[in-house]
Amino acid sequence: MTHPDDNRYPPPASPEWPQPPTQPHGYTPRRASYGRDPWQESYGHDVPQDNSYGYDAPSYDPYGQTAWRPPHARDPHPHDADLAALRSAYQVLRRVSTLTALGSFVVYVVLSCCAPDLMASKIAGELSLGMGLGIFQLAVTFAAVLWYGRSAQHSVDPLARAVRERTVRPSRDTGVAR
Amino acid sequence: MNDFGSGTQAIVLVLFSTLVTLTLLMCVMAGPDRDDLTNFYTGYLSLTPLKNGLAIAGDYISAATVLSTTGIIALAGYDGYVLAVSTALSLVLLMFLLAEPLRNAGSFTMGDVLARNMPGRAVRIASCVVTLSATLPFLVVQLSGAGSLLTFILGMPHETGARTTCIVLIGSLMIIYAAIGGMRGTALIQMIKIVFLLGTSITVAALVLNRFDWSLGEVLRAAERGSGTGPAFLQQGLQLGTSATQRLDFASLQITVILGAACLPHITMRLYSARDAPAVRRSMSWAVGTVTTFCLAVIVMGTGAAALVGAQYITATDPHGRTSVLMLSRTLGGGAGSAGTTVLYAAMAGTVFITLLSSVAGMTLAAASSLAHDLFAHSLRRERAAPRTEMTVAGWACVVVGTVAILLSALVQNWDVGVLTTLAICIGASAVAPALTYSLFWRGFTRTGLLASLYGGTACALVLMVFSKAVSGMPSAVFPNADFHWFPMQSTGLVSIPFGYLAGWLGSRLDHRRRAAESRENRRLYEESEARLLAAAE
Repeated sequence: MTHPDDNRYPPPASPEWPQPPTQPHGYTPRRASYGRDPWQESYGHDVPQDNSYGYDAPSYDPYGQTAWRPPHARDPHPHDADLAALRSAYQVLRRVSTLTALGSFVVYVVLSCCAPDLMASKIAGELSLGMGLGIFQLAVTFAAVLWYGRSAQHSVDPLARAVRERTVRPSRDTGVAR
Repeated sequence: MNDFGSGTQAIVLVLFSTLVTLTLLMCVMAGPDRDDLTNFYTGYLSLTPLKNGLAIAGDYISAATVLSTTGIIALAGYDGYVLAVSTALSLVLLMFLLAEPLRNAGSFTMGDVLARNMPGRAVRIASCVVTLSATLPFLVVQLSGAGSLLTFILGMPHETGARTTCIVLIGSLMIIYAAIGGMRGTALIQMIKIVFLLGTSITVAALVLNRFDWSLGEVLRAAERGSGTGPAFLQQGLQLGTSATQRLDFASLQITVILGAACLPHITMRLYSARDAPAVRRSMSWAVGTVTTFCLAVIVMGTGAAALVGAQYITATDPHGRTSVLMLSRTLGGGAGSAGTTVLYAAMAGTVFITLLSSVAGMTLAAASSLAHDLFAHSLRRERAAPRTEMTVAGWACVVVGTVAILLSALVQNWDVGVLTTLAICIGASAVAPALTYSLFWRGFTRTGLLASLYGGTACALVLMVFSKAVSGMPSAVFPNADFHWFPMQSTGLVSIPFGYLAGWLGSRLDHRRRAAESRENRRLYEESEARLLAAAE
């Protein structure tokens, strides 16, 4: 299986940066829920995995600190670049996972219909190849879901966080309610 | 057929009343405040991923899934195994493809997702129509099945009067759950149901395997014998036949299930009550894990029913084998009258009962939410309705949807309406799935395209279904004595899914030509809202 996490940038907010005094703090409840990111806490590389949900864990507030700015942040459209990276990260993840799941099942169904003799051949005792493949797909599902969660957390979540933080700031500064 | 002492039935009856009382109590306690829309539709986004995942799985595994899939496995072997796999993989596909953008784009109903870039009444009305036409058949098939199922469980005579009473009883309970409990109340019932269901099915599956000394080969050999079909039990073709058309029909049905089963509005609606994209991912992981475990258990249970009960006894009670899981639990306990039988049968009957109640309540809620939110608040009142009014309307919409479903179910209870499940899934795959995938991933999608895929896909599935072999022209059809079929299959997906996608594409192309300004505006709105769609950034 491939691991589509080649778009891992930028790194998460660095805690040493001081908080700018002008930053207002009125967050809507839904947006505030991003403040405590359960994925970063439960699966972070250096965080002990003692709380698999993280919702009850003491939360840190990434909005409290300035986000780490990538070098191209002074480009004319930094936000667009982030969004494009996020879009392509999502695309890679979505295509790989969906095509694998759908493709394997379609192959399985077509084989069942067009090659019944092949699928009826016994592989172990009474277990035929068709049944074995069916149960194998169900068993692999657990691994596939775990893999998807990890990949998404590596490739998509940091980018999504970056896009969120960037969109919050300009709309505040210019006072445009979006 | 139900040869029990009255002792077992008394226990089952007590169990049913206890379940009803407990769940009603929980529903009332968990019910939303009278004028809080977020609470009614999404339960304040307050469920943890595990709980939300269990609720999604609970909504996904309907009573029709539990009973029919076991029956199909018991009677058709291999075809049923493939159906169990496609049922599980459908939810996987929903998780991989749609779940996260859907959560970011929507707030309460499917109409919210579809209308986010294309404001206007037409879109709202279309999504309400499609929601209703996908959930009502599902509701009717389960309610009308509830009549014969309850009379079977309780050992009542199979008269129309007794069945109608059962339908009305279950229907009224479902209205109460949906109207009082809202999303939070039904989520609680779904959680209880899925825990019960998983517990009982794993126990029964383990008992089946234990009976054969944990040897899979022995179970399969016994199932081949019990089904009376020999080696054909483990090959494709018992359910629909082995000619070229019938094989195509089988493939079409499986593809329809994997594309459509998880897109149905009552399941996607649960996604909106996760608090963000990582949470919805986490919820879906739990849901997929639960559903896959359940499907593995169903495979063992169905095979066990064929092996231990035998196909001729199963078909004698119900030609589709929908009672096979109950008959299996009775056989496993060690014979009529023993304590083991009583406990196991009562547990299975209680599980089936709560599964039935919770799945019809979930569907009623989805249909009523769409009526209240899409049709009333956004089309009739043009978003000027007060939250309190919308809540009241949603409550009454539950009553209306429920009453219509009860009436329809009582009307069709003597017919074999299992085909309605296929219809609902076909509409899900050929109208809901194209509309959602285009709307979430194609920036060139326009209003005409959306309406074309919603109405076109639904109409295509509906028309083909009416003139299919499943409705007339076969002994197992809805009208076995009439023959007006010209569509030689039992499910419509092979034609209607491409039709739905094509209609959406053609409609959008038409808009690009005829109404260039409007489609450019659509594209601009899509690009503007992309940050919200991908990252939940406002």
